[in-house]
Amino acid sequence: MRFLLRRLGFYLIAFWACITLNFFLPRLMPGDPVSRMFAQVQTQMRPDQIAALRQLFGLTDKPVWQQYLDYIGNIFRGNMGISLSRFPTPVSSVISSEIGWTLLLGATSLVIAVVLGNLLGIMAAWRRGRFLDSVFPPLLVFVGSFPYFWLAMAALYLFGIVLGWFPLNHAFTDGVEASWSFSYVADVANHLVLPALTIVLVSIGGWMLGMRNTMIATTAEDYITMARAKGLRSGRIMFHYAARNAMLPSITSFGMSLGFVVGGALLTETVFAYPGIGYQLLNSVQALDYPLTQGIFLTITTAVLAANFLVDIIYVRLDPRVRVS
Amino acid sequence: MPKNKRSTSLAILAASAVLGAMALTGCAGGHTANVGKTSDGILRIPREDTATFTSNFNPFSPTALPMTDQAVFEPLLIVNPMTGKAVPWLGKSWTVDSNGKGVTFTLRSDVKWSDGQPMTAADVVSTFTLAKKIQGGYSYLSKVSAVNPSTVRFDFNKAYSPGLYEIGAQVIVPEHVWSKVSDPAKFTNANPVGTGPYTKVSHFQTQSYELDKNPNYWQPQKQQINGIEMLAFAGNSGANLAFENGDVDWSDQFIPSIQKSYVSKDPAHRKFWYPATGGTIQWQLNTTKAPFNDVNVRKALSMAVDRNQVATLGESGYTHPADCTGLTDGYASWKDASIVNSCDWTKLNVAEANKMLDAAGYPRGANGIRSLKSGKPFAFSISVGSASSDWISVAQVIAKNMQAIGVQLTVSSPDWSQVVDSYSKGTFDTGIVWTNAATTPYEFYRGEMSQDSVVPVGTPANEDYHRFGDAQATALLNQMAATSDPATQKTIVNELQARFKATAPAIPLFPSPVWGAYSEQNFTGWPTAADPYATLSARSSTTTLVLTSLKPVK
Repeated sequence: MRFLLRRLGFYLIAFWACITLNFFLPRLMPGDPVSRMFAQVQTQMRPDQIAALRQLFGLTDKPVWQQYLDYIGNIFRGNMGISLSRFPTPVSSVISSEIGWTLLLGATSLVIAVVLGNLLGIMAAWRRGRFLDSVFPPLLVFVGSFPYFWLAMAALYLFGIVLGWFPLNHAFTDGVEASWSFSYVADVANHLVLPALTIVLVSIGGWMLGMRNTMIATTAEDYITMARAKGLRSGRIMFHYAARNAMLPSITSFGMSLGFVVGGALLTETVFAYPGIGYQLLNSVQALDYPLTQGIFLTITTAVLAANFLVDIIYVRLDPRVRVS
Repeated sequence: MPKNKRSTSLAILAASAVLGAMALTGCAGGHTANVGKTSDGILRIPREDTATFTSNFNPFSPTALPMTDQAVFEPLLIVNPMTGKAVPWLGKSWTVDSNGKGVTFTLRSDVKWSDGQPMTAADVVSTFTLAKKIQGGYSYLSKVSAVNPSTVRFDFNKAYSPGLYEIGAQVIVPEHVWSKVSDPAKFTNANPVGTGPYTKVSHFQTQSYELDKNPNYWQPQKQQINGIEMLAFAGNSGANLAFENGDVDWSDQFIPSIQKSYVSKDPAHRKFWYPATGGTIQWQLNTTKAPFNDVNVRKALSMAVDRNQVATLGESGYTHPADCTGLTDGYASWKDASIVNSCDWTKLNVAEANKMLDAAGYPRGANGIRSLKSGKPFAFSISVGSASSDWISVAQVIAKNMQAIGVQLTVSSPDWSQVVDSYSKGTFDTGIVWTNAATTPYEFYRGEMSQDSVVPVGTPANEDYHRFGDAQATALLNQMAATSDPATQKTIVNELQARFKATAPAIPLFPSPVWGAYSEQNFTGWPTAADPYATLSARSSTTTLVLTSLKPVK
């Protein structure tokens, strides 16, 4: 318990540091949201509208420390302000309209990559030098080192255009009403296949290789020899003696990745026109939309810290050594 | 231990379930890929700059959704930049006071809002009150009043005849709806009431929405299409792909090598038209810094630019070199042929450029680089935003061209926000930039050489970043604003062109094209070079003309 409290204290300080950075980083960028918007639409906006826009957006000349205090106060009241690039929609509704898709895509592909990658790693280490061990790691690392953009475009071209198996864009067929019916869920799943598949393809190699390497180290341990000597089934030794102990680094990376899922998958969203936070973040940074940028960073920070805290808790359960120290 | 075993097998089970589902739906998914090809009379248009849509049909909002000003609300008149002619729309006719101090509009009497109420002069008056309050601008407008239910009078506080087109382009909103809105600036207007052809929002989703027919439209015979569906894309590549695949009918984002990637797949139906009527793209020199305050230097630099190459790179070859009037093809009827034919400093002439710089007192040193009057080397930077890869190539060509006249030019391409910031505050050396584009050349020349638009370095400027002002040009611009007579205006614009030629306020490079491509698979009646009733832009005021001209293929 004391361990968890100490960790909690650490996370609170980390959280404060993060929200402070969130506040100052966007403001260090040159320009302001209105001139940025003006540059973007070029000739479509009349120069004399700029002053009115500044006023509308509430871009005040308050001293920075006062803006900072307002910002901290608003965070604790759960008020993230109004987005400028999507004026007058509140930041919270912009994020909530997209976070669901980000979580669906990110979590699905992460879980598949972790489960498959770890299983492959376990198998490869258990049967060292065999087919699985000699073919898959180099192959997956090779695929994983492709530029993601290229891989995604190639997959889209092959499966979407040439073969026509999967839709080219969006998270579901346009105009279809959302419901819990089978056809809608199948439609969403169908649109999810290509984006998720490409993410799995590029990330699975890392999971497999990581697991394989720790697993090889564990299989050399005395307790494995002991288990064999006891005459335990091979599968039981593999999963419960070797893999369980080799899991720990994977759990850590899983926790980290889980937190970053919230940040969205920018390139996937761009190639497959999939809705999500990644492109929104890019847009809001480019538009100098301070409130939205801060809101998204805050969401990511919170998610990463929460996921890490969760991993800490799981660690206590999995690794008795943590409890003792 | 047993607990752990269950969780492992659960994980395997979950994984195989997901994979199984993926495989299953994958097999079933083949037939949904080309759903857009069915002809249901819905016009599909992609939008490449937003990954998702947030409901906002407020025409006063800078972030209003696409089609708010094109399909939902309508203006008093629509100017076709291809012909320069104004098409009467909600305004049946208008007269500009001969001294340019006011405009009177007569409204159509048969226009109804989509909720059935008639549109009157009171709606127009309240629209301008709202626009002034929320958007600002219209500083020349002193009073808007309803003379009678079908006549609106606009009084100006100074002579400003170009105001006609700005007023005419303002879309009109219903007073009976907006007067009940407590904060119009933050109103998202999810169920808009407008006079436009397609006002009924349906199927509003994260990445698409549909606009259906206005049941009370004043030109029902022109509502041939059943509705408009807008689709969101995060970037050009996705939108282009949907277009190339035939999922959408009309697309106005840039498509690289369009002939090969789009048209060649179905040349009978697929067309594009890129008229160079956008704004002029120019190389601006900061005239507050020496030596750019010297007109001969500006002209010499311009003569060293290989415009043919620049135009080929600049907009992927879909434009042509600019001339020394600075005007785009959109102002063809205003151009003075005698000036265009006698242009000297927009033609490549390295020998003459060298001669002019020698004569102006910038001698070449031993290393081939010229030196300034201060003794420093003639070296400076050219700014361009990092997102505009075409323009970066242009800047590189110009930098190379400058070597031939002993001028050292370094390309600097940080983010646009940083570039615009330096333009606005006047701290830049030189840079590539767009220019004002409006109905008459008035706004363009105001942004190039009016003394009234020059602000000191450090004060943010919104136009005339190069901070050049000419007394004669300012007087001409004021004269133009003070007359409503087309013949007088034409004479003044001729004199402005001569002034631009004489003073070279900035270095025009090429006019920017208006992108647009379409498929006649589902709809016909598109504007073309032979029938230029509008451009193919889906986000300008002429879009309304296209929407009311298209006919579905039976």
